[in-house]
Amino acid sequence: MEILYQTAIHLGDPYIFLAAAAGVAWGILGGALPGISPSITMALLLPFTYTMDPTGAIVLLASTYVGAEYGGSIPAILIRTPGTNAAAATVIDGYEMNKQGKAGLALGISLYSGVLGSLFGLMMLMLLSKPLASVALAFTPPAYFALGILGLSVIATLSGESLLKGFVAALLGLMIATIGTDPVTGGNRFTFGSSDLLTGIAPVLIMVGMFAMSELLVQASDRSEGAKVLSRPRMEFPGRKLAKRLMLPQAIGASIGTFEGVMPGAGGTIASFMSYNEARRWSRHKDEFGKGSPEGIAAPETANNAVAETALVPLLSFGIPGSNSTAILLGGFLIHGLVPGPMLFVRSADVVYGLYAGLFIAALSLLVIGMMMLPMCIWLVNRPRPYLSAFIFALILSGIFSIHASLFDLAIMLVAGTVGFFMRMLRIPFLPAVLGLVLGYLVESSFRRSLVLSGDDLSIFFTDKVSLALLAVAFLFVAGSVGKRILDALRHRPSEKYSEGSE
Amino acid sequence: MLSRDFVSGLSAVLIAAIYLVFAYQLRTSALDDSVGPGGLPRTYGWMLLALGLMISASAIFKQTRSGAVLDLRLEWKGQGRRIVWAAGLLAIGVCYIAGVSTLGYPLAIALLLVAVALYQGAKPGLHIAAIGIGGAAFLWAVFVLVLGVSMPMGLFAGL
Repeated sequence: MEILYQTAIHLGDPYIFLAAAAGVAWGILGGALPGISPSITMALLLPFTYTMDPTGAIVLLASTYVGAEYGGSIPAILIRTPGTNAAAATVIDGYEMNKQGKAGLALGISLYSGVLGSLFGLMMLMLLSKPLASVALAFTPPAYFALGILGLSVIATLSGESLLKGFVAALLGLMIATIGTDPVTGGNRFTFGSSDLLTGIAPVLIMVGMFAMSELLVQASDRSEGAKVLSRPRMEFPGRKLAKRLMLPQAIGASIGTFEGVMPGAGGTIASFMSYNEARRWSRHKDEFGKGSPEGIAAPETANNAVAETALVPLLSFGIPGSNSTAILLGGFLIHGLVPGPMLFVRSADVVYGLYAGLFIAALSLLVIGMMMLPMCIWLVNRPRPYLSAFIFALILSGIFSIHASLFDLAIMLVAGTVGFFMRMLRIPFLPAVLGLVLGYLVESSFRRSLVLSGDDLSIFFTDKVSLALLAVAFLFVAGSVGKRILDALRHRPSEKYSEGSE
Repeated sequence: MLSRDFVSGLSAVLIAAIYLVFAYQLRTSALDDSVGPGGLPRTYGWMLLALGLMISASAIFKQTRSGAVLDLRLEWKGQGRRIVWAAGLLAIGVCYIAGVSTLGYPLAIALLLVAVALYQGAKPGLHIAAIGIGGAAFLWAVFVLVLGVSMPMGLFAGL
């Protein structure tokens, strides 16, 4: 009840309202553009948030994630091209409905299901975050170290086909995190006499470089224009009878989306496909799936929007980003000196309640903004690629400069983009590198502080109960992933293809 | 033999070696804790070196076991072209960084917009100039007027 009361206080804040609406609108636009993932859409906004109030900044970024998950379904339905990875399941029946002249209804089902998924996911976020964070308040330095290791162990599920490459990426991130000032002694490390490197490399530069800049570099050689949207459908919502039929697939999507969102490393893509499969399994109209079933849209769209909310649970409670998008959101927190995790609910509770209020407004405004922005999304998708690339590049450079008014930052971002380009070429995933970068300070400072406390006795990490439990979970994550890979190899089943990780 | 996996491993080894050289140059102090500023960096470096060697060895083993000769043309098909095009786009970015202080943000960003659009295949014409000017004006309005960011003025400093 206290959570609802505190959240309701922020509902009347016009700043939060504007941030939520702007985030949803930007997210829908970004999600509608194939090749621009939710994390890139959020990364483009990161530099803008420097000058904003912390609550508004976080609401803006989180709302972008919500909007992008719906936005990805627009090109999925209209041109058989998912705007986001999570919308890939929507293509299956969405495009078929489009071919049958029911594009408006398909878009309406997607939007309506997305709103329901967001609201359900928000309810779970509000219920789960604070209790989990209360547990984390008992953390000691060894427990924080173990928490950092748990965060890094997520790499095991995010490494695509090569676990070793995932660890390589994580180590690269940890190594970048060592640049700057030593967390215990305050001495300089790897600064090479440069004053610009004294404060280390801001994670936002690496995130924007690896996600957004590398995408531009990869697309630089693509001269194809991509599919165009030729129709101009009008959005249509399901009637009472169809809405009743959609209740079961939406419930399936909401449940799976909640579970997958809370699990670090899972994410919208897995949730949407699992929901599609389960909705088909439990449907009375199984034969319609793959041929334009409205349930085939409702389930994945509910799931991926539920994920957009519940993926914040591990981030807010423990400070562990479980996906690319929540890693960007973590960047947003760090920019404002906020550290997600147990202390967030103690020191900056108003930010958390403001976030809940903002996400509620985002979920509701998704309905209105989603309808209004359909023509704009179609216009944007049809823009010639050269102009889009030029504008995005200009936006990135302007945004990064606005952080510290530093050309050095632009250079770092370009270097990160180049590294990201080659990482993609060599099929090395990004997210472990980002995890290593944001968790590196926590891991090193907690490790060294623990050893100072224990007189260099490593057993402190095992005698501390919380630390032992977290290390055990981390071990299970890694062991489970290794076991799955071995089983897949024995059954000659291909393991997950290379991907940049869950969105 | 030069598969992507092998090159990944080799790159990791190279990065690790360079990092270790600098990690071992970090000064120690009598006031350091037992791990010190260099402890974890050296650990990371050696771990990366080991992983790089494992990935390279795994790549060679995979290729040897499969028996098939790796067709490098297929393995790297199109990548050279991608690298060249990416390098060009990167060069435009570098030119922007080099020139923005002298030219000023409005002119530099307009030139960047035009350069990137042309580079990415837009047809030359007056409309490109209009896009450059319009885009620069929009970005100026957003960053300078709305967000209050102090962008370099360059040639416009006197205005």
